[in-house]
Amino acid sequence: MRDRFTSSQWAGLALIGGLIIFPFVISLLTGQPVESGVPKFWQGMLIQVFILAVFAMSYDILMGYTGILSFGHALFFGTGAYTIGILLKHAGWDIGSALLSVIVIAIMQSLIVGLLSLRVSGVYFAMVTLAFAQMFFLLAEATDFRQWTGAEDGLQSIPVPAWMSPTTERLRFYYVTLGFATIMYLLARQVVNSPTGRVMMAIRDNEMRASVLGYNTLTFKLIAITVSGVMAALAGAFNALWNLNANPAVLGVGTTINALLMTIIGGVGSLIGPMLGAGVIQLLGYWLNVFFGPSWPLLFGIVYILIVLFLPYGIVGTWRLRSASWLAMWRERSRSLIRFFNHP
Amino acid sequence: MIEWIQRRRGLIAGIVAAILFAIWASSQYEPRVLASILLSGLTLGALYFLVTSGLSLIFGLMDVLNFAHGTIFMIGAYIGFTLYANPRLLLNMLPFVLAFVAGWLLARWLPFSSLPTGHRRPLWVVAVLVGVFAVWGFELAPLATTALSSGGRVPTEQAQAPIGIFIARTVGLAIAGLIAGAAFIIGNEHTRQPAPRDLVLSSGLLALAIIIAPLRLNAEGWILALDSNARFLLALVAGASGGAALGGLMEWSLIRPLYSRPIYQVLVTLGLVFVGTELVKGIWGPGGYFMELPAWFSRRGPSCPSPNLIAWLQDNCASIDVLGRPFPSYRIFIIALGIAMFIGIAVLLRYTRLGMIIRAGVQDSEMVQALGINVRRVFTLVFALGAGLAALGGVAAAPFLGISPGLGQEFQLQAFIAVVIGGMGSFTGAAIGALLVGLARAFGDQIVLTGIQLPWMSEAMTFSPSIARASTVLIMALVLLLRPAGLFGKKE
Repeated sequence: MRDRFTSSQWAGLALIGGLIIFPFVISLLTGQPVESGVPKFWQGMLIQVFILAVFAMSYDILMGYTGILSFGHALFFGTGAYTIGILLKHAGWDIGSALLSVIVIAIMQSLIVGLLSLRVSGVYFAMVTLAFAQMFFLLAEATDFRQWTGAEDGLQSIPVPAWMSPTTERLRFYYVTLGFATIMYLLARQVVNSPTGRVMMAIRDNEMRASVLGYNTLTFKLIAITVSGVMAALAGAFNALWNLNANPAVLGVGTTINALLMTIIGGVGSLIGPMLGAGVIQLLGYWLNVFFGPSWPLLFGIVYILIVLFLPYGIVGTWRLRSASWLAMWRERSRSLIRFFNHP
Repeated sequence: MIEWIQRRRGLIAGIVAAILFAIWASSQYEPRVLASILLSGLTLGALYFLVTSGLSLIFGLMDVLNFAHGTIFMIGAYIGFTLYANPRLLLNMLPFVLAFVAGWLLARWLPFSSLPTGHRRPLWVVAVLVGVFAVWGFELAPLATTALSSGGRVPTEQAQAPIGIFIARTVGLAIAGLIAGAAFIIGNEHTRQPAPRDLVLSSGLLALAIIIAPLRLNAEGWILALDSNARFLLALVAGASGGAALGGLMEWSLIRPLYSRPIYQVLVTLGLVFVGTELVKGIWGPGGYFMELPAWFSRRGPSCPSPNLIAWLQDNCASIDVLGRPFPSYRIFIIALGIAMFIGIAVLLRYTRLGMIIRAGVQDSEMVQALGINVRRVFTLVFALGAGLAALGGVAAAPFLGISPGLGQEFQLQAFIAVVIGGMGSFTGAAIGALLVGLARAFGDQIVLTGIQLPWMSEAMTFSPSIARASTVLIMALVLLLRPAGLFGKKE
């Protein structure tokens, strides 16, 4: 038990505190009530950021920490969305047991998909997971299950319990998703810092060596996929609750690419990076859409390629690499400024 | 003997499965239905082959998984279709491309390489600014959509910039190319000595660009006045060469700097899918187009369908009689194209020097490099070849499947599945995988149409097309369980 927080822990606490009072700050700044208008809109933006942040973080557990490149992560996100939608709408379950079964189904799904696709590695794994995700995408679109999934229209108007309805009780939904993202971050940090997490990183750095040291790498990769899959499924479930629907697009390639973008832009191999990336992408997408209209995905793609080419470590990675030299540079500049004022 | 069987366990199991499936299929369907299912399967297989062969060669040689291969397929379809229906867009863009390349080549001849390295970055910025300024306000979308939606034959003067401004833009792009070329040369030790042929080539290209600029109005009419067969052949050539150029450019500019970071190559190609799809949507619009069949494959009349292939050569009917059922003759053409390409590549790989280098490179590209062969250039060539094949497939698929921005995605997925089934890096594997997936799709479509009745079922079970499409993933899962490296892949 530590009795002192480190500086980064203080920063995290300050961030969460800031996010807790954020709706009221906006409300004060705009003079509009917290439950409507501009404050409500920005709560909505941040809710999406929280949900996407968890999704991106789950992706980074696979890609950044275990070194597994998956192109089928939408599979878990979408299945989570559909599971909770179907359970709430057609089975009439309550939200608690629905979320619990999302977890159970995600565990089973990640184990099956993981066992099948881990027979290959590297880019083959990426292709195979892509194929699995596409299979579920096609099944979601299939007209055979229209009464359950709504086929290409998707599941509409999922009955979210009134106490956390994203339309009428938005502030409460905001705090629920904020709490969800915080808990998921703490859990993920726990996993990453545990001995299991160290083995995952060993697999990322040198799989052969990890297996020669006596670790059953398949087991650890399966653990990584399962942890990541459960987190993604929960994010998907919250996404369905927030949108009040689940359509085939949540299972599509676009969803996976989104996770990849957030992870790459934020910084691979850190937990906070992808969460930051989620915020950047959500806000950047919003502003690009405002300024450039329908052509914004094109700009987005170009920005993405430029980042991959010139900023491969993302925001957090580049900061970690350069922050020391930047700080030194600014310190030197401020010193020379002070000297200039002292002896002009 | 036993060892022989053990080593070829997979092959034998495959043959047995194929025979069992053939027995089941022939008991299920009458021969003429079976024949048309098989031909449909071959058609799809031929198209898949055009995508998978490039994908597999590129992966085998340089370990790059090109996620943008389906996008190139789609862009090839758009280029070919544009040339076929109304070449206005292409004719307007051609001088720009030529001028830029001419400027780039000219920079190699001028003594730019002696400039200090510090000039490099500012020069790039200037080149981009000049290029953007030169094409600013030049709208591609009206050139593409107005021409295409009105059936191709609209007055050519409309929607085209005045000649003076057009020439100015062309010259501007040549200057941008010159500056970019200079920026590229500075500090690049691998650049060879300036040769006079650069000057000749670049002035030739520039002259061509300037000549095309005023003639583009007439050229559009000339191309449209050709008969549809000639235009179709031109479309195939233009689509394939456009795709090859794009592929070569892509390898040279985006893939080559990243050979030390393999994962990032895949990520870049994924970004290109995004950019390519959005560009196509921006230029040609988000909706789809329908490409008409050329005259060779579209005649209808009292003598149709043609009784056999020889008769079809005479009467060019839209369909050919196969065991009493008409089968579209265009699909026969696709099959023939696929087979021709298969033989062509097989010959290239087996009997030419380039093919020898490629085969050696698949084994060990570093060794080939050490033997004094410029492997990087072979990489670019193979990338261009693969992309060209995919684009050719796109043009060939256009009259059969229609053209839309989503065309590539579907092919990409099925091609991935085919490659995984066949085994990455194996040319034969790519062909067999494509054929298997094509046949599976054809049987799936038939089952969607009529339902399936297995021996223990009292009545036929039906399902939707989506499930038929998803079922190929199951085949892939099965192959992966039995042989993780694919049917023809090497064990790791």
